[in-house]
Amino acid sequence: MTTPANPIHVLLVEDNPGDAELMRDTLDGSALALELSVAVDGVDALDHVLQRGRHAAAARPDLIILDLNLPRMQGHEFLAELRRLDALRATPVVILTSSDAGKDIALSYRLGANCYLTKPLDLVAFQAVVRAIESFWLSLAKLP
Amino acid sequence: MTDPSDEWHLRAERRFGMIVEAAPNAMLMIDRRRIITLINRKGEDLFGYPRDEIIGQPIELLLPEQLREPHAAHVAGYFAAPRDRPMGAGSELVGRRKDGSEVALEIGLSSVELPEGSFTLASVIDITERKRIEDEIRRSNSELEQFAYIASHDLQEPLRMVASFTELLGQRYRGKLDERADKYIFYAVDGARRMQQLVSDLLTYSRVGSQGGPLVAVSADAVLGRVLTSLAGPIRDTEAAFGIGPLPTVLADESQLGQLFQNLIANALKFRGEAPPRVRIDARVTGDRWLFSVADNGIGIEMQYAERIFQMFQRLHERGKFAGSGIGLAVVKRIVERHRGRIWLESTPGVGTTFYFTLLPAIEKVAA
Repeated sequence: MTTPANPIHVLLVEDNPGDAELMRDTLDGSALALELSVAVDGVDALDHVLQRGRHAAAARPDLIILDLNLPRMQGHEFLAELRRLDALRATPVVILTSSDAGKDIALSYRLGANCYLTKPLDLVAFQAVVRAIESFWLSLAKLP
Repeated sequence: MTDPSDEWHLRAERRFGMIVEAAPNAMLMIDRRRIITLINRKGEDLFGYPRDEIIGQPIELLLPEQLREPHAAHVAGYFAAPRDRPMGAGSELVGRRKDGSEVALEIGLSSVELPEGSFTLASVIDITERKRIEDEIRRSNSELEQFAYIASHDLQEPLRMVASFTELLGQRYRGKLDERADKYIFYAVDGARRMQQLVSDLLTYSRVGSQGGPLVAVSADAVLGRVLTSLAGPIRDTEAAFGIGPLPTVLADESQLGQLFQNLIANALKFRGEAPPRVRIDARVTGDRWLFSVADNGIGIEMQYAERIFQMFQRLHERGKFAGSGIGLAVVKRIVERHRGRIWLESTPGVGTTFYFTLLPAIEKVAA
C-alpha cells in the first residue's frame, strides 16, 4: 500500500465538470492515496504533463484517464502528442468516453491507449467502472 | 366491290386508331425493326414532335444518346419473347424530347399481332413530377432521421448528468432529509431513468435509417449463429430450444440482420408461456424474395393488435409485467423496410406467434 507521502497521481482529461465531479466523488471513497487532477481539454492536458502554464507545479501523472470528445484539442490528438514525449511514452492511458464507435476504439489503441472504456449511462454502472479502474490500474497493475 | 372482310378490317383499324388517339396516355407503336408506325396526340405533346416528323423514324429518336444502343438490343430481345408488361412494373426510362430535354418516363408494353406483322404498343407516362416528389420525400425522411439521430444522441449527455446527480443525491441523502424529500428524489430518479430509456431507444431506432451500412451478400445462417451465441444466457435461463431450417444468403446489412433476429428471438423468450420456449426459424422462396418465419409457443397476441405492436413505444401489457419500452418490434419493422421487405405476424393467444418477413436474395433471381 502506498503511503500518503507517496500518492498516486491520476490525471483526468475531461471537459464535462459533472463527469469530473462524479469521478472525484467515487474516488473519494478509495482506500488508496490518490491525487486527482483535472485538465479540461487536450491543450490543458499537454500543459499539465509538460508542467507548463497553470500546471507548472503539477506532478507527473502515473495514470491518465482520457475523454475523446474535447474542445480545442481532441483526445486522440492529445494521445498522439503524449506518445511523442519520451518521458510520457509509457504512461498508461485509459480512454473513458461516451463514444462506442468502432473507429474511435481502433484509433485509440493504434495511438497507444492501454484500455478503452465507455461511460455507462447509469450512475451505479459508472461508479463500478471507476472502481474497476481503481482496483485494476491503481492497485493490481504495476505502473511504470 | 370491296371484300366484306377488308371492309371489316378497315373499320376495325379506324376504331383502333380512334381509341389510341383518345387514350389519356401518350401511346406509340413500333414494328420489329423498331420503326415508329403510330403515335397519338398525347405522344406528340409529350415528345414535342408533330406526327409527320416521327412516323417512320426509329424509336431511338426518342431516347438520349447513351441509351440508344442498349435499347435497340433490349427491343430485339423483347420481340424474341414478347410478353405484356403492365404499367408500374418498375420499368422506368429516360426519354428525349425534340428540344433535347430529357423526361422521366414509365412505360407499359403490349404486343399487337396485325396482318402486317408483330407490333409493340407502348403506353408512356411522364413521371418527372412524381419522381421529383419521391426525391423530395426521400430527402425529407432522411433529414428527419438525421435530426432524430442527432437530437437523441446529443440529449444523452445532459440527461446522463441529470440522472446521475439525482441518483447520487438519493445515494447520499436518502433517509437523511424527510420522507417527502425521499419521495421527490425517487420520482426524479425514476423519471430521468425512463427518459434515458426512451432517448436511447429513439437513438437505436433512428440509427437503423441514418447509420445503416450497405446491403451486401450475408449468410443468414452465420448471423443467426452469432445471435444465438450472444443470447446464450437468456436461452439457458428459459430452457429454450431451437429448430432451425436451412437459411439462405440474403442481401442485408449484417449488423442489422443480427439485430432483427436478436429482437425477434428475445421477444419469443420474453413472451413465453408456461412451457419452456420452442422457437422454429425457417426460410423458403416466395416469388423473388426469401420468406423467413420465426415461430414460438409463447403467450401469443390477439390479432387485433397485430399492427400496433410494430409501432414505437407501444406496449400491450402494463408497465412492470414485462421489461422493455416497446421499441424492439418497431426496430425490427424499420430494419425489414430498409431491406425492402415486409413483416407481419400470425398469432393465436395461448398457442404462439409466428413472425414472417421477406428479404431480397443475395443474387437477383431466386432459383425456384
